[in-house]
Amino acid sequence: MVRRPGGELASRPLHFIWICDCSGSMQSDGKIQSLNNAIREAIPHMLRAAEENPHAQVFVRALKFSDGAQWHIAQPTPVADFKWTDLQAGGVTDMGRAMQMAAEQLKIPPMSERALPPVLVLISDGQPTDDFRGSLAELLDIPWGKRAVRIAIAIGDDADHEPLQAFIGNPEIPVLQANNSETLVNYIKWASTAVLKAASSPASQSKTMKSAGGNVQIPAPPPVVSTPTEDVW
Amino acid sequence: MSSLWKRGQTPWTETSHEPCCIEDALGEGGQGVVYRVNVGGRLAAVKWYYPEFATPGQRVALETLVKRGTPTGKFLWPLELVSAPSHPGFGYLMPLREERYKGMADLMKRRLEPTFRALATLGFELAHSFLQLHSKGLCYRDISFGNVFFDPGTGEVLICDNDNVSIDGVGEGGVLGTPRFMAPEVVRGDSPPSIQTDLYSLAVLLFYIFIMHHPLEGKKELAIHSFDLPAMNRLYGTEPAFIYDPDNASNRPVQGVHDNAFYFWPIYPQFLRDLFTRAFTDGIRDPLHGRVREGEWRAAMINLRDAIHYCQHCGTENFADSSSQTAGICWHCNRRLRLPIRLRINRQIVMLNHDTQLFPHHLASDRPYDFSRPLAAVARHPDHTKVWGLKNLSDAPWFITTPRDPQPKAVPPGLSLTLLPGAEINFGKVLGQIL
Repeated sequence: MVRRPGGELASRPLHFIWICDCSGSMQSDGKIQSLNNAIREAIPHMLRAAEENPHAQVFVRALKFSDGAQWHIAQPTPVADFKWTDLQAGGVTDMGRAMQMAAEQLKIPPMSERALPPVLVLISDGQPTDDFRGSLAELLDIPWGKRAVRIAIAIGDDADHEPLQAFIGNPEIPVLQANNSETLVNYIKWASTAVLKAASSPASQSKTMKSAGGNVQIPAPPPVVSTPTEDVW
Repeated sequence: MSSLWKRGQTPWTETSHEPCCIEDALGEGGQGVVYRVNVGGRLAAVKWYYPEFATPGQRVALETLVKRGTPTGKFLWPLELVSAPSHPGFGYLMPLREERYKGMADLMKRRLEPTFRALATLGFELAHSFLQLHSKGLCYRDISFGNVFFDPGTGEVLICDNDNVSIDGVGEGGVLGTPRFMAPEVVRGDSPPSIQTDLYSLAVLLFYIFIMHHPLEGKKELAIHSFDLPAMNRLYGTEPAFIYDPDNASNRPVQGVHDNAFYFWPIYPQFLRDLFTRAFTDGIRDPLHGRVREGEWRAAMINLRDAIHYCQHCGTENFADSSSQTAGICWHCNRRLRLPIRLRINRQIVMLNHDTQLFPHHLASDRPYDFSRPLAAVARHPDHTKVWGLKNLSDAPWFITTPRDPQPKAVPPGLSLTLLPGAEINFGKVLGQIL
């Protein structure tokens, strides 16, 4: 029986994009497996965060780069329907190409004019082998690229922080360094829940909260988990 | 989450020295993690702070709250501080939220479809609970979706996250509030949270509950491309404009985008629309004197409950509007409504539906609000099914006079009087008239 008129609270789309390094070096020490596992771990938490958030319709997709870049999950997928397909590693690190492909999708259209800031999460264990700077500039040149919340996670000691920091584009938000799988799980989960929430439905504001100067206040990332030796990459 | 507490570990309560055995994590908030714990066979909850929030100031604030005790049973109030030698920092013990209480996101996403009566009860309980809190000189600071739960069947409320509560105007508590709910002067940084800014947040929450929309989201919201913090600060802080401000049409809701506002706003009685209008016009211009008080919301919610009647065609709840000459049109089936028989008590009019009950506050203005014990209920005559009456559920007789018989007749407890327009009822402390 109809009890009340109208529909759900009006909400805006929030596009969440994983941008994953699938270069050959991700094969070593089980890094790609750890990444696949971390994203699978994060999905139920992401779903719960989306369900508790009446202000956003969350759409998820994934971009991968190695020799060139490809949409791994091309369709913006409602988080309730999102299923992770494992990534395979092999090839070089064409991170720049991934920036171009993300930029193409953040243009209006296909993006709508009205939305919540998109969230882009870049994960890499190495350094770009193509023209990263020029491609990043293309991304940051379009309005939704510039306004996107950009988070970067470095896997292992060989990851070059400099391009990742350039991607973030805000010196007050550091690159997250994951040296073991538990830390990676925590960072991935944080990006897909706390950051997702910050971009649409910010939590209680406090005076102690650091202002990162961006258009979205990024909550503090989870603490680094101390590394048991057998788990070091 | 994993770095704080694991299942089976036990922090201890600091005063009663009881172990709180961690069962599982219930949720993660901005300041810490809430766990279900077992304390000597009883289930309870512990909120454990992240290191950066486990400050000496927070500890002192909690100690104050524990000492003062809960304003009413509607608050999941801190009972005791909790700590452990193995873990730096601290947390606090509080009652566990029962499963029947659901979050506001379920209401906003239409996963719950409560009756208007339940929502009016929710509104009443919110206003009543915050009045009790404020009466103690305490300020909540963060009224928002995340901190309020309710039973969709009855509208009973439960208010959580009470660790930010502070004495009004005292101390430098950290929490400023949640975007969309913060008063404009707090958003702009002109004023710290206070009882006055709580009143604004309460009005926003009530607007969301009844209109399923934000009171400041109209044309100006439509014009925003990227809905981020700078945009929110403009919309809710520096350029706030009520969507139905009678003197400023610049921010009206837009068809196709803000549809709930169009659907819900017209179905309520004028007195509720007037109150919302005041809350978001005078209440924004004059934070100190213009805001709608909890007592006003409470009275409005009681009136709203009493104004509910059912469409005789489709059975849907509608609201009678005493400021209107006609019963109007059903919002659902669009057919002409007919009002049921009504009871006037003082200036208040109560619709006498098949399921109407009267409570202590109806029959004596000095009685507390208590929906657990009805003192009267509409009932059908056992033999003549077309005859309806009002049954005396109190423990004292009432006396009635009717146009046919001006001699007062007793209605002892357990018996009913026939609902005849013109009849007058002496309830003991108040007089009622059947309309």
